[in-house]
Amino acid sequence: MSDYQYDNETVKGFIISSIFWGVVGILVGLWISIQMWAPSWNIPPYFTFGRLRVVHTNGLAFGLGIGAIFGICYYITMRLTKRPLLFPKLARFHLYLFNAAIALAALSLFAGMNQSLEYAELEWPLDVGVVILWVIFAVNIFGTIIKRKEEQMYISLWFIIATVITVAVLYIVNNLSIPAGLFKSYHLFAGVNSANVEWWYGHNAVGFIFTTPILAMFYYFLPKSTGIPIYSHRLSIIAFWSLVFAYLWTGAHHLIYTPLPDWIQTLAIVFTIFLIAPSWGSVVNGFYTVGTDWSKMQTNYLTKFFILGITFYGLQTIQGPTQGLRVVSQLIHYTDWVPGHVHMGTMGWVTMTVAASIYYIIPRIYDTEIYSEKIANTHFYLVLIGQLIFSITMWITGIQQGALWKAVNPDGSLKYTFMETLVRNYPFWKMRTVGGVIFTIGMLFFIYNIFMTIRKGKSLAAAKA
Amino acid sequence: MGEEIDNIENFEAKETSKKIPIGWQLLFWGLILWGIYYFVSYTPAISGWSQGKAYEESIGRGEAVPRP
Repeated sequence: MSDYQYDNETVKGFIISSIFWGVVGILVGLWISIQMWAPSWNIPPYFTFGRLRVVHTNGLAFGLGIGAIFGICYYITMRLTKRPLLFPKLARFHLYLFNAAIALAALSLFAGMNQSLEYAELEWPLDVGVVILWVIFAVNIFGTIIKRKEEQMYISLWFIIATVITVAVLYIVNNLSIPAGLFKSYHLFAGVNSANVEWWYGHNAVGFIFTTPILAMFYYFLPKSTGIPIYSHRLSIIAFWSLVFAYLWTGAHHLIYTPLPDWIQTLAIVFTIFLIAPSWGSVVNGFYTVGTDWSKMQTNYLTKFFILGITFYGLQTIQGPTQGLRVVSQLIHYTDWVPGHVHMGTMGWVTMTVAASIYYIIPRIYDTEIYSEKIANTHFYLVLIGQLIFSITMWITGIQQGALWKAVNPDGSLKYTFMETLVRNYPFWKMRTVGGVIFTIGMLFFIYNIFMTIRKGKSLAAAKA
Repeated sequence: MGEEIDNIENFEAKETSKKIPIGWQLLFWGLILWGIYYFVSYTPAISGWSQGKAYEESIGRGEAVPRP
């Protein structure tokens, strides 16, 4: 299928760009994890925690995450529609614009420009750029799907469509703001409304960046790499529709015990708990699929990435909804439990699945085999250990923190000062940095493996020519 | 490039394509029922429960934070 040749270059461009931004984001993540226990690592004004933290989250969610999503969704869409992209040159422009936007985003965040909305920090001129980027993506994906040469639409395409539509709606609505100059704007919504819209956006960024496109990858690359077809098509479809229906109601679970009206909080909790079912629909489907032939765990090195990935997704989608319950939220909200939870999703589910997808794609594009399965296995175990250390240390210290904050004397006064609750985090924060270092080393093995595969592919192609 | 074309039949198992495990169905409907119960119990306009009232009661019990 040499038809894909030109577009493969674009896919490759996105993958390499996402790896680059991933390295930046992970290193910044390590840096801020050190700042938590060694304040002297704050270098004002550009390299303080407040600025670096948003570079970390934006760099990884939008640089690594969205970059990989653009490239891999193009790859999947072309193959499931059995045709090249409808607008290949536009896709190439998309790649350049994406990198320019992420670079400018990072610089603006270092400079301290910030809308003060979590995951929507970028100021309005960059928001306009992001919307243009997304429209280009939408035009190419929808155009290619409309002009498809395979009538039946596999489940991955549905997840990609949901991603494209929902992220557009979320991003535009939450970033509506009134400019007060080129680098400053004010949210169109005020007070409780602002908070409600922000978390409707914030939570669904998790749903439609860290969930639906990653599930598209899971459903596509699991059968491709193992050769086992997905157990139940019907279950995947039911899980899809109930997931996209329920997700959009859940944002207010970030605002439990706030001035947001009680009934909105309750409604959000109802949908949040329900979300366990659609999420586990995909988990069950994944396990039943590989369950027809567990030997693939040994014979195919990618199977364990997908199975561990979907396992963490399963744990994440039980832990997350549980956190929405009032009784749990009052203990762990605002504590270090929360980054422990988030990073099980991002490091355990998203990065694991994206890395496995890239392991699948790169050798196919270069018509070769992976450089080293041994290195891939080393990568797997290092990121697994690193992520477990990260999450477990934060869960422990988060529960401790919450319990200390809630402890009262018989007369109702607080038992512990804030300082007393803070210093107990130090050993756990230090261990978290160790976990981060192990994870980073794992990712370096991954990157080395990918670049050696590319080198091998290039020299093979040169030898043939 | 020696890339094989995707065949949709290789993605979806034939015999089990319409199966939905019973355990999952129980989870699905169970959570919907639980959702109805929770919504009725914790919506002020229906049950009279409110965050504020729960807080006042918890003060009476000598707790720092309300329990629903």
